[in-house]
Amino acid sequence: MGHRPGTADYLLHGGVPTDVAVVDGAARHTYADLRLAAGRTASALAALDLPPGSRVGILGPNSVFWVAAYLAVLKLGHVAVPLPDRATAAAVRRAADLAGCAVVCADRRALRAAGSELDGGPALLTDDVVTAGPDPCWPDGAPPDPAADAVLMFTSGTTSRPRAVRITHRNLQANTESVLAYLRLRPDDRILAVLPFHYCFGASLLHTHLRAGARLVLCTSLAFPRTVVDLLEREGCTGFAGVPSTFQLLLRAGTLATRPLPSLRLIQAAGGALPAVVVDELRAAQPQAQLFVMYGQTEATARLSYLPPDRLDDKRGSIGRGIPGVELTVRHPSGRPVVPGEQGEIYARGENVSPGYLDDPGATADKFTAHGLRTGDLAVVDEDGFVYVVDRADDFIKSWGHRVSSQEVEACALRLPDLVQAAAVGVPDAAAGEAIALFVTRHPSSAVTGADVLAFCGRHLPRHMVPRSVTVVDALPLTASGKVAKAQLRAGALASAPASGAASPSAGVTASPSAGVTAGVT
Amino acid sequence: MDQAVRTALADFIIEDFLFGDATRLPGDGASLTDAGVMDSTGVLELIEFLESRFGIEVAESETVPENLDSVAALVRYVSGKRAGLATSA
Repeated sequence: MGHRPGTADYLLHGGVPTDVAVVDGAARHTYADLRLAAGRTASALAALDLPPGSRVGILGPNSVFWVAAYLAVLKLGHVAVPLPDRATAAAVRRAADLAGCAVVCADRRALRAAGSELDGGPALLTDDVVTAGPDPCWPDGAPPDPAADAVLMFTSGTTSRPRAVRITHRNLQANTESVLAYLRLRPDDRILAVLPFHYCFGASLLHTHLRAGARLVLCTSLAFPRTVVDLLEREGCTGFAGVPSTFQLLLRAGTLATRPLPSLRLIQAAGGALPAVVVDELRAAQPQAQLFVMYGQTEATARLSYLPPDRLDDKRGSIGRGIPGVELTVRHPSGRPVVPGEQGEIYARGENVSPGYLDDPGATADKFTAHGLRTGDLAVVDEDGFVYVVDRADDFIKSWGHRVSSQEVEACALRLPDLVQAAAVGVPDAAAGEAIALFVTRHPSSAVTGADVLAFCGRHLPRHMVPRSVTVVDALPLTASGKVAKAQLRAGALASAPASGAASPSAGVTASPSAGVTAGVT
Repeated sequence: MDQAVRTALADFIIEDFLFGDATRLPGDGASLTDAGVMDSTGVLELIEFLESRFGIEVAESETVPENLDSVAALVRYVSGKRAGLATSA
């Protein structure tokens, strides 16, 4: 890229003033409305007289206010800090403090939930600013240095504690360009955005659709799966994006599998391996839509690779190749690139790769290496350069001297159509090293038991991959971005090791412990 | 509004979703999901509670915000279901 505009203007550049930018409940906001809302928020923020580069938190569910605040922060040369909105109030406060937020732009709905936790903390700017704010301001002036921080994104922390990732203006714009180069979004596209904007995948949807001058239809809860599908239909959405749990929920507990959605042309899946059965169900349910299986990390702004939809069959299970502008290399532990078929770890280079974590030189040095971003994902490459993730390095289970991929165990269990979700974790075991504990959720009308699932796995998996226990739960604990929180599952499994040989109630596994029923093997 | 039903529902929400903090209970007409009080796990817990406490069966097609997403909607839904049960019995 040659001359770079400031990121806020870069994102708003393409939107036709009279086109709808954001559908937020019953309200439809055009690009002109969005510019006004962002201008008012910028005006209120400017009145606080913060030094340039100040960190400004954004707290709340996806909303037009959230978007306006984000754009305003970027416009004024400050650093946006999207805070998790479904976290406990204490976690929100910790994140705001960790990032050193001087001010938090807060949705009053989220403030209610935070209670008094934010008292005595950062100054607050609430969402009434978009309707009753001061006269808008949108100052001209030199855009910030492209190498300066634009956003601090918290990693989702599926396996470890959250960290703040520094995303520069250059990172954000480069990744947006790359994604648009292969998704080819148009001004008439309409995405149903269920992923929170504080999660890198959700943020990427925001960036790319604004830049394309397209429409974002907001849906802040998956609590009612049927309603989500209704909204897809009613708003004539052309796009939908989710993490694996989103699709599993909507296909098996919602009506995505049966509802014709002729407008839907583009489905984006990322944020974890989409099991093959779910890929098949999704394609069978919505054959008119192109399915993009993608891969990325917060440390790479969002996106690193995609599999072209026409390669879903011949490259089944692959995350594809690097997106335009990204070089993906699978490396042997010695550092050299692997040969086809050999396993190694994925490294990535590109303008979208973050300069590092906030205030954490140790973790930064470990993750951002001479070979580029070390993803922590183990993979193999085929002769054509297509990458196949074997598993997260952290998600391997060491059972009977074998390294078992939790994804393979989960994929086997999910071949049972009664199941909605599955998550396998390793728990310490004297004999096996680690024993496999599998947690599943089932279709609301299903009576399938843990013992049934266990028997199925026993028939279809080699001995060392068969779970020690299968626990049917009401729901899996999820991180703020909708990924299964394996650390929490592991802790729950340890706290409630099932008595072997007998189906027994298990406690303390998830938010809804009463329904957990475990089947164990002798 | 059926006050006994409302009290039972409010008690459940305060106890299970708000960890006893009654000050965070949204107004009767306000969305529980918008307020961040109830997520997808919460809806499942809520259904289990409705079925065991009020002896009704929540059909999949009834699992919609119009029935379940506010205290007022819940009271209306539960009262309607029980009236339906009474007349059909």
